[in-house]
Amino acid sequence: MTERVQSSVGCLAAALDYDAELMLRVKEGDDVSFGLLLEKHRTSVVNFLYRMVQNHAVAEELAQEVFLRVYRSRATYEPTAKFTTWLFRIATHLALNALRDGKNERTQERLDDDSSDLPARQVADQRQTVEQRMVYQARLDEVRKAVATLPDKQRAAVLMHKYEEMEYSQIAKVLSCSESAVKSLLFRAYETLRARLAHMA
Amino acid sequence: MFGVPENEKNGSHEDAAVLLDYSARKLDAVEVARVEEHLKACAACREMADGQRAVWEALDCWEPAPVSPDFDRRLYQRIEKEVSWLDRVMRPFRPLFVRHGLPIVATACLLFVAGLLLQRPADVPGPNPKPEITADQAESALQEMEMLREFNRIAPADSAQPQM
Repeated sequence: MTERVQSSVGCLAAALDYDAELMLRVKEGDDVSFGLLLEKHRTSVVNFLYRMVQNHAVAEELAQEVFLRVYRSRATYEPTAKFTTWLFRIATHLALNALRDGKNERTQERLDDDSSDLPARQVADQRQTVEQRMVYQARLDEVRKAVATLPDKQRAAVLMHKYEEMEYSQIAKVLSCSESAVKSLLFRAYETLRARLAHMA
Repeated sequence: MFGVPENEKNGSHEDAAVLLDYSARKLDAVEVARVEEHLKACAACREMADGQRAVWEALDCWEPAPVSPDFDRRLYQRIEKEVSWLDRVMRPFRPLFVRHGLPIVATACLLFVAGLLLQRPADVPGPNPKPEITADQAESALQEMEMLREFNRIAPADSAQPQM
């Protein structure tokens, strides 16, 4: 009986979530659907990881691992939650592990990384004056440093809330904690950021 | 409500989560109007909302970075390394197997069971076969019959004597 209810819930989740439907097709051996999922979520996963670890090469390496794990898990995939919840749970887990394992050696590198490997922004900046570019770069550095000072879990919560526009309930599922714990994490994180960035208004 | 000091939780302040959503422009028009009305009268909430809006705008300047053009190629290379030769051979048939696998297996099971049932009558032993009669038994039987015939011939004469 319980299994039937879970199965029904899974089917309902799949019906509501097109990504879950694509993943079920990947489970059936449809590699084109995997390509569609990759196309849709590649940028957001890479950027989430980049903002977490603040190193572009490491972020791309971790993102590769995320999609590799998604592909490896295709046979056992069950749509019990939103696909993006599952995807970002993998991404967050990898990012937190990477930060824990390489914290001492990479922290300074992250803060000193001026992200000169980001061609799109440089192209967009070509219309700006040198002064505007410098101001923009200074603001960006300040934002990055402020985000980097946040504890890892607070940072993950802020990035999902701000850039992925996730609901509190979804962030709670990704971080495996209660919704009230997420609100508390976010409040403390934004309090820190307000103290550091409010003057930028 | 979270984040606002306990002594201010007297109902006069807006919920911090609502203020976050207000700054993130996630509220509907009715809620926005209600919050803005409250902000006019509450300096503490107004300060928090202004600070939060500043943070939100500051974070906006951190634009998404482009992904390396060879990201997908590298990923598919790693996937190919992990996929076994059997998977590669079976890949074209996998959708067919997943969709039709169950009926095929069920049909195979039915055929197997039917085969067992058809084979079974041959294994069941039939009525008891007639026992074989050896030459000794036949000779013995003939001798006994001969003796009986002899006995019958003598017996009437013996039985008549007492009547005399």
